[in-house]
Amino acid sequence: MTAYFIRRFLLIVPTFLGITILIFVITRFVPGGPIERIIAQAQQQALEGGGTAVSETVQRQPLSDDQIDLLKKYYGFDKPVLVSYVTWLGKLVRGDLGISTRYYDPVWEMIRERIPISLYFGLLTLIATYGVCIPLGIAKAIRHKSAFDDASSVLVFVGYAIPGWVAGILMILVFSSHWELFPLGELVGENFETMSLWEKALDLAWHSMLPLMAYLIGAFSFMTFLMKNTLMDNLAADYVRTAMAKGLTFRRAVFGHALRNSLIPIATTFGNNISVILSGSFLVEKVFNIDGMGLLGYESVVERDYPVVMGVLAISSMLFLVGNILSDMCVAAVDPRVKFE
Amino acid sequence: MTDGYPILAVNHLVAAFDTEAGRVRAVNDVSFSLEAGTILGLVGESGCGKSVTALSIMRLLPRPTGIIESGSIRLNDTDLVKLAPDQMQRIRGRRIGMIFQEPMTALNPVHRIGRQLVEVFALHRPDVDAGQRVQEAVALLSHVGIPEARARMDEYPHQISGGMRQRVMIAMALAGKPDVLIADEPTTALDVTIQAQILELILDLQKETGMAVLFITHALGVIAQICQDVAVMYAGQIVESAPVTALFKDPRHPYTQGLLTSMPRLSSENKSTLPIIQGTVPSLSQLPPGCLGPLFFTGTLGVPIGDGSEKRKAASCGKPKDGFSHPRRCAAKKGGAGACGGRCFANCGTR
Ligand SMILES: Nc1ncnc2c1ncn2[C@@H]1O[C@H](COP(=O)(O)OP(=O)(O)O)[C@@H](O)[C@H]1O
Ligand SMILES: [Mg+2]
Repeated sequence: MTAYFIRRFLLIVPTFLGITILIFVITRFVPGGPIERIIAQAQQQALEGGGTAVSETVQRQPLSDDQIDLLKKYYGFDKPVLVSYVTWLGKLVRGDLGISTRYYDPVWEMIRERIPISLYFGLLTLIATYGVCIPLGIAKAIRHKSAFDDASSVLVFVGYAIPGWVAGILMILVFSSHWELFPLGELVGENFETMSLWEKALDLAWHSMLPLMAYLIGAFSFMTFLMKNTLMDNLAADYVRTAMAKGLTFRRAVFGHALRNSLIPIATTFGNNISVILSGSFLVEKVFNIDGMGLLGYESVVERDYPVVMGVLAISSMLFLVGNILSDMCVAAVDPRVKFE
Repeated sequence: MTDGYPILAVNHLVAAFDTEAGRVRAVNDVSFSLEAGTILGLVGESGCGKSVTALSIMRLLPRPTGIIESGSIRLNDTDLVKLAPDQMQRIRGRRIGMIFQEPMTALNPVHRIGRQLVEVFALHRPDVDAGQRVQEAVALLSHVGIPEARARMDEYPHQISGGMRQRVMIAMALAGKPDVLIADEPTTALDVTIQAQILELILDLQKETGMAVLFITHALGVIAQICQDVAVMYAGQIVESAPVTALFKDPRHPYTQGLLTSMPRLSSENKSTLPIIQGTVPSLSQLPPGCLGPLFFTGTLGVPIGDGSEKRKAASCGKPKDGFSHPRRCAAKKGGAGACGGRCFANCGTR
């Protein structure tokens, strides 16, 4: 089995290579790159700046061919595709993601700055999802068709039907604006720097409450029902009846026998979460004015900040590849029948 | 072997399921008694209610759809039907052990065999310390014929064969030293040579421990090999019960006769067609009310009606001639329930 996982990790190399080619080709050939953006900007500046000197050239094209060639050289568009791909890949492998065409900051720095924020929300969401969905799913399975089961199903489904950012806006309206119980946004308060450690923690928790709820609200349904349904299947399984026939109480048959089997499908989802941890949701981030990876990725696409787009894509696809292998490891850990050869 | 007082007595047991189509009685007024130190065979075709009977005794009918509607199940002097769940839980595994039909699914796939077996010792023999439990578990595994028992302890169910798994099941059922063992088609899912070995094992263990066994099967041949008494079940009812020799020599109920004639025998002519019982068991929700007897004798149920024999006519459920009311008519000639030696077509019951 160790050999299998080593092979899997080695397979990451060609897969990732394929992904980089895709990323490169898409950003290179989709119209509306950074040069077009700069041209548009220059156009706008000219329009705003000189009311009198609105010449024909400005209408069509404010930059000279020389200037454009310079820009192309700057962005590396002057070289043949293959050469620039290899150059980019070489830098990528060395951890150099290039410079943002919008902020002129190193891309890696920009991503690194946001990782703690996304990681913070990602981990909290993950813990809260597993922490709530697994016990809730168990309770619902054991009390299938009870009033508790029905009521919680309604809640979970309503949550599923409402997009996280809509819930975020609603919560801001009600809890922050109307009742003023929670802050309107941001991750920390204004005088965060001057607070004691304890106050900082409280402030952070207070600010995180609503965004966390917005993140969670849609995530509950899938996991809760996965847990409930697999546990119900396992409760009806022969081996649970055997366990009871041995003299175990229902409780011990559930927690000692059925539960571990029911966690197998949950384990398959576990590894994938590591990529989710870092991606976040740009809409929720936008609503709460949180500067995380989601927002960064979204804005870089809108602004054609290709080095950032490529960097974010490369990192998240790498995480996804590793996550898949982690999932398989989790499954192998909980299910002894699984043998990867 | 001991006296033969009834250690387990099932009386007028009615077990039902609440289904979409309404309540279905899978076990309908079943009575039998299992005597200490003997093996009672419960035979009948698939779907006739054997497993539901067994699960009723264990109080393990699937919840919440399966319910015991009425009747009593007495283990010595305790009525299991009336026991509280925690009391019943102390009966399972310790007083009554059970083995199931499907060795493939009856063991927990993610726990090692040792752990599943030691669990029973931990439950029923709390006085024994942990190291001792493991030793006893190993000893028990070798006792039920598992080679290299110590190594098997660390294996998972999917790593051993079906026959070995069934031996593990038997070991688990016996670990609590129960007085009664319920074996629900323990050999049906195994291939023929393994079947014979498992039967022999159960028989040996029964002789050794003196426990009583309720042996459920759909094969009369198996009954002939190991049982003292037999009860024949059809569509949720027991249609005939008798000592094995008597039943094979002189089956009274046409369904039993059908079963017997459809059994392949060494003495039957080479390459002759095997008689079969025609038709299928009617759907439980569509059974006509009252006695099933008339169905058999008119051929509705497809039991072969050959030469119009007197015996069968005598067995039919007509108007009571012998002074006994309909629900408990007796197949034996005159003289009443006592004279039939327990061989009643019991339960032409009110439904
Ligand atoms: N969980 C259930 N829900 C509804 N009906 C059931 C259930 N289990 C068994 N039955 C019905 O009870 C009858 C007897 O089943 P069973 O005792 O398993 O038969 P067998 O004699 O083959 O062991 C069958 O007709 C079956 O359809
Ligand atoms: Mg059965």
